[in-house]
Amino acid sequence: MSWEPEVQELNRRRHLAKQQGGPTGIAKQHARGRLTIRERIDTLLDPGTFQEHGKATATPDYDANDQPTGFVPANYVVGFGAIDGRRVVVGGEDFTLKGGSPNAAGLRKSVYAEHLAVQYKAPLVRMLEGGGGSVKGGARRGTVGEPVFSAPRFRIIADAMGQVPIASIAAGAVAGFPAGRLVASHFSVMTRHTAQILIGGPALVERALGVKLTKDELGGAHIHAKSGIVDNVAEDEADAFAQTRRFLSYLPSHIGERAPRRPCDDSPNRMEPELLTAVPREDNAGFDMRAIVRCVMDADSFFELGAEFGPSQIAGLARLAGQPVGVLANDCRVYAGAMTAQAAQKYRRFVEMCDTFHLPIVNFVDQPGFMIGPEAERAGTIRYGMAAVCAAAQASVPWASIQVHKGFGVATAAHYAPGAYVLAWPSVQSGALPLEGGVAVAFHREIEGAADPAAKRLELEERLRAARSPFPRAESFAVHELIDPRETRPALCEWIEWIQPLLEDLTGTTAFPMRP
Amino acid sequence: MALVEVESEVTGTVWKVETAVGDVVEEGDVLLILESMKMEIPVESPVSGTVADLLVQPEDPVREDQVLALVEA
Repeated sequence: MSWEPEVQELNRRRHLAKQQGGPTGIAKQHARGRLTIRERIDTLLDPGTFQEHGKATATPDYDANDQPTGFVPANYVVGFGAIDGRRVVVGGEDFTLKGGSPNAAGLRKSVYAEHLAVQYKAPLVRMLEGGGGSVKGGARRGTVGEPVFSAPRFRIIADAMGQVPIASIAAGAVAGFPAGRLVASHFSVMTRHTAQILIGGPALVERALGVKLTKDELGGAHIHAKSGIVDNVAEDEADAFAQTRRFLSYLPSHIGERAPRRPCDDSPNRMEPELLTAVPREDNAGFDMRAIVRCVMDADSFFELGAEFGPSQIAGLARLAGQPVGVLANDCRVYAGAMTAQAAQKYRRFVEMCDTFHLPIVNFVDQPGFMIGPEAERAGTIRYGMAAVCAAAQASVPWASIQVHKGFGVATAAHYAPGAYVLAWPSVQSGALPLEGGVAVAFHREIEGAADPAAKRLELEERLRAARSPFPRAESFAVHELIDPRETRPALCEWIEWIQPLLEDLTGTTAFPMRP
Repeated sequence: MALVEVESEVTGTVWKVETAVGDVVEEGDVLLILESMKMEIPVESPVSGTVADLLVQPEDPVREDQVLALVEA
């Protein structure tokens, strides 16, 4: 006797499972300008590499004789695949079935995605589209709820963030639990025109608050690039996949492995003349910090994350002599680069991510201090700021800081980790408080008592400014080196070689992994 | 033709207005300069076009996301 009949039935079921929501459901998805989950997976991965787990999962219907009559595929698709030849786990909701709201097997597979990534130590890419649970699922008879002793379902989501890189893509409306999954990631990206991210959708909001808003008004890209809920916005799904592949290229496959260093054809000794004039001599004139970062890093290697959230702080990934590094830098064109509550949150999360995956950090410092003023007080800036300071103080990764311009106040402490390699440019100014405000506070009696208080203040500022020459810092070994700005790349590329043995020792778990 | 709103990224004051209504500007041209946290912050036109309206003048306080100017693209 052969098992041919069963094999035929199995193949029929595998075929049915791939039909998704049928031609009508798929046509509707395409009409909305969106790919189906299977098309998304095939576009993201290296061609032909998808190996699905649970190829025949479904909710079957049976007739009176226990013969299957219908077959609704599980609406979550998950499996292994490759990105640039490296194994990843990829999973996502099938929006063509029940709007992505999980059916029984779909729910199991969605929870399985994190387990699969952690078990086999592979990065996880989530392609999110859907609304999470539905009240229809609640009206069951018999036993209800989960067993009281069951492990929390969200435990694996938290644990996974400390084990493998996780990237999430929102390519449609993402609400409820899927929105929670999206932020529990090291990188998240949404499409500009076809995605929304919502805790609760328009109907819920109108019922609860009496406010009538569209999905886009509530949670479109223009809202969440600034809220920091997503790191980046993509022009379309293809761009979102390209950004995801790029993000993963800087990271190891798991915490037990080193980030992949590439051969680099950009000379480590390249010295860019424009760095000598990059910082203006006038105190109040701004400059383009991103241009400085791009000059120093390997050509075209800087990949910025979360540019619109906490914009006084720049964060991103790059390579130096082929070694992936985390880059932090201040943008003096926004609040002089001050650390706002949002900038501090961005900073802490980024340091924790680099720590989790053992990426060295290169920090271009132009820090005037924590943001001040009534809005900053209401935003609770000092708490988030101190969290950033603590993240740096406990960081375990090799760290290099380049003092580019300002370094004032407690916020400046966030820019140095234990054992930091410290380089200073001649344009550096530092101290407890910037001169302008600091002089007015420290010398207020002397200034008020003078015949011309304004002239007195300027005179004092000028005298103190003259005492702030960068040379004493080099003489006193308060910095490792005072350098010609053009020497920054050669010096950092040399440092990259020094830290190679340290990186070897760092693999494994960190004391404090990244949380959402 | 569309009117593009130019918003302030920061809270601060207007230091200088560098253009006038009716001026033809290129994308990236400085429309006005704000002062915040003792830094000069140039506000650039996000598009090429004509300055349709300037809603602030020197020394005006401005807030984050406040519309400063309108440019007809």
